[in-house]
Amino acid sequence: MTLADLFRQLSILVGLPAVLIAAGAAAALVIVRDWRIVLLAYATLSVMLALLLSQVIPIEWALIHAIAAGLTAVIFYLSARQLRWHPASGVRWEDRWPQVASLTLFRGLTVGLAAVAFLFVHEQVELPRVEPLFRDLILWLILVGLLGLALHEEPLHAGLALLTVLGGAQLLLLTLEPQRMWIGLMEGGQILLGLAIAYLMLARGLVAARPRAMTPSSSAGELDDFWR
Amino acid sequence: MISGAELLVGSLLLGAAALYFLRRFEGLTALLAAGVALGLALLVSLLPLDAPAEVAGRTVWLGKAVVWEGLTLQIGPAPQTLLAFLLMVAAAAFVLAWLTYQGRTFYPFGLVLLAAWAVAAMLRPLILAPFALVLGAIVSVFLIQAGKVGDTRGAWRQLLFPTLAAPLFLLAQWYIEQAPLNPDDQTPLVIAGWLLVAGFVLLLQPAPLHVATSSLAGQSPAIVAAFLWIGGQSTVLFLLQRFLVTYPWLTSAIDSARWLLWLGIFTAVLAGALAATQPTLGRFLGYAGLYDYGVLLVAMALRGTAGLPTAIWLALTRVFALFTVATGVAIIRHRMESDRLERLHGALSRMPVAVTALIAGGLALGGLPLTAQFASRWALLQLLGENDPRWVFLLLLAATGVLIGAVRAGYACFGRLTYARVERESFLVALAALLLVAAGVILGLYPQLLTSPVAAAILPLSTLGP
Repeated sequence: MTLADLFRQLSILVGLPAVLIAAGAAAALVIVRDWRIVLLAYATLSVMLALLLSQVIPIEWALIHAIAAGLTAVIFYLSARQLRWHPASGVRWEDRWPQVASLTLFRGLTVGLAAVAFLFVHEQVELPRVEPLFRDLILWLILVGLLGLALHEEPLHAGLALLTVLGGAQLLLLTLEPQRMWIGLMEGGQILLGLAIAYLMLARGLVAARPRAMTPSSSAGELDDFWR
Repeated sequence: MISGAELLVGSLLLGAAALYFLRRFEGLTALLAAGVALGLALLVSLLPLDAPAEVAGRTVWLGKAVVWEGLTLQIGPAPQTLLAFLLMVAAAAFVLAWLTYQGRTFYPFGLVLLAAWAVAAMLRPLILAPFALVLGAIVSVFLIQAGKVGDTRGAWRQLLFPTLAAPLFLLAQWYIEQAPLNPDDQTPLVIAGWLLVAGFVLLLQPAPLHVATSSLAGQSPAIVAAFLWIGGQSTVLFLLQRFLVTYPWLTSAIDSARWLLWLGIFTAVLAGALAATQPTLGRFLGYAGLYDYGVLLVAMALRGTAGLPTAIWLALTRVFALFTVATGVAIIRHRMESDRLERLHGALSRMPVAVTALIAGGLALGGLPLTAQFASRWALLQLLGENDPRWVFLLLLAATGVLIGAVRAGYACFGRLTYARVERESFLVALAALLLVAAGVILGLYPQLLTSPVAAAILPLSTLGP
C-alpha cells in the first residue's frame, strides 16, 4: 500500500469528522488532568491535523507533520513515565503528578464558555483563502490553546496548549502559502520545543513524584547530572 | 575560503560541544568560553568586511555570504557591531559567572545561545530571524533551569512569548507579499503592520508581558539573568531597528513610535514602582533591570529624532550597571545562602565590596549622577522633554522607585550578622566587583569615553537593510 493509498482510505475522515475530532481532542488537552488521556488527545489531534494538512500541502509534507508530532508525543510519554504515580512512592493518589492549579469542572466550564463565545464570533472572522471549515478549526485551536496557556502552569499541559496554538497557526500559514522552508522550520521547531517541554516536565514533576528524595539536604535535589 | 558567518557560528557550536565535556573543570571551562568569545569578538571587530584576510594560515572573508535553500547568513556592517558587542558581553559574563558560582552549564549553553543570537542578527530573509530567537529561547530553558527541580516558571515564560511571536511574522510576510498585487489598497500593509507590532510586543516583552523577567530574576543565577537580558533584549531591539529601516511604511501605517513610547513608559513606571517594594535581591534586580529596559524602549521610540544614538549609548552603559548589581547580588546570595532582605543582616561586615556593588549598580540603574547611566539618561530626558515634559516626570518618578529599592537592599545588609559562619568574599571576586564599580564611576565622570563606540555604531544601524 502506498502512502497515497493510505491517505485515500483515510479521506473519509477528512472534512467535518476530522475537524470535530481535532476540536474535541484540543478541548480534552485543556480539561483532562490524567497524562495518558492528555497524550492520547495530543496524538489524535496531530493525526487529524496531518489529515487536514494533506488537503493543502503534498501528502509527504503532511506526513512530516505526523512524524514530528509522533516523535514529540513519544518524548512526552517517556518523560511522563518517569513521573507516573506508584504506590511505593509514598505520594497520595490525590497529589500525583501532574498537579494542576484548577478543578476539572472549572476547566470544563471555561472551555464551555469559550465554545459559546466561539459560536457567536466565528462567522464574523474572515481569514483570506481559508475555507469556513478550516477557519473554524484554526480559530478553535488558537482559542482553546490560549485558554490552556492561561489555565495551566504545569509544563505538560501548558506545553501541549502551546503546541495546540502552533498547530492552528500552522494550518493557517500552510493554507495561505505552502512553502517547504516553513514546513521544515515548524516541524523542526516542534521537536526542539518538545525536548524543552519534556525537560521542564521532569524538572517540575520530580518534586511531586518523589518528594522523599527531594529533601533539601539530599543531592537528589537536582535533575540527572547530565544537565549540570 | 571560510566566510565570517561559518567561522562565527561554527566556532561557537564546536566550542560549546567541547566545553560541555570539560564542564567539571569549571575554572578552565569558564576561561576557555571567555577566550572563545573574546577571540571571536576581536576577529569580528578587526577583520575587514569587504576583502579576505589571513587568519592563522587560513583565508577568512568576514563579509562573505553563506547561502542555503534561500536562506542567507552574512555579516554586514550592522550585524558586525551587534556581534562584537554580544561577544564581548559574553566574555565578561563568563568570567563573572565563574567568580560568582553561577553553575557549570552556563558556559556551553551560553555559547550555543550566542550562536542563536548571531544567526538572528545575520539571517535573511529578515522575516525568519525570529525563528532563531525561538531557538535561543529553547536553549535558554536549559540554561535557566540548570538541573534544578521545582519551580519552572522562569524557564517556561522565557520560552513562551518568542514561540507565540514567530507565526505572526510569517503571517505578516504573507500580507506584505499581497500588497503589490493591489497597490491602491493599503489594507494588507496595515494588517501586516499590526501583526509585526504584535510579534514585536511578544518578543520585546514589555509590561504587562514582563512576567518572564521577574521570574527569571527570582529563579536563575543573577549573572545568567543579566546576560540573558542584555543579549536577548539587544538582539530583539536590533531586529526591530532592522524591520523599521527595511519596511519604512511600518512607521506610518500603525504609528509604531507611539506604541513603543507608551510601552516603554508603562514598563518603566510599573517596574520602578515594583522595584521599591521587592522582598528579595533577585526580584529587585529584575525590576530595576526592567525599569532600565523601559527607558531603552523610550529611546528607541524616539529614533526618528536623536533617539538612536541615545539608545545605543544606553545599551552600552546598561551593561556596566546590570553586571555590577548582578555581581553584588550573586556574591551575597552565594555567601548568605538566601537573598531575602530580612536574612541579609550583617552582609556588609563580610562582603563590603559586594554590598557596594549592589548599591552602586542599583543607583546606576536609577540613573543617579556619578554613575555610568547618568549622562545617557540625562540626554534621553532632554530629548523626551522636547516632546512632552509629562513623560520626563513619569520616568523620574519611576527612577525614584529604583533608588528606594537600591537603598532598601543596601540597608538590609547593615547590622549584626545573624549567622557566624558566613565566609568573607574572596579577593578575586572583590576585585571584579570593584572594577565594575570603578568602571561605572569613571564612565559617569567621563561619558565622552563612549563617544567613539556609539559613533561607530550609529551609521550602520541607521542605514541597515534587509
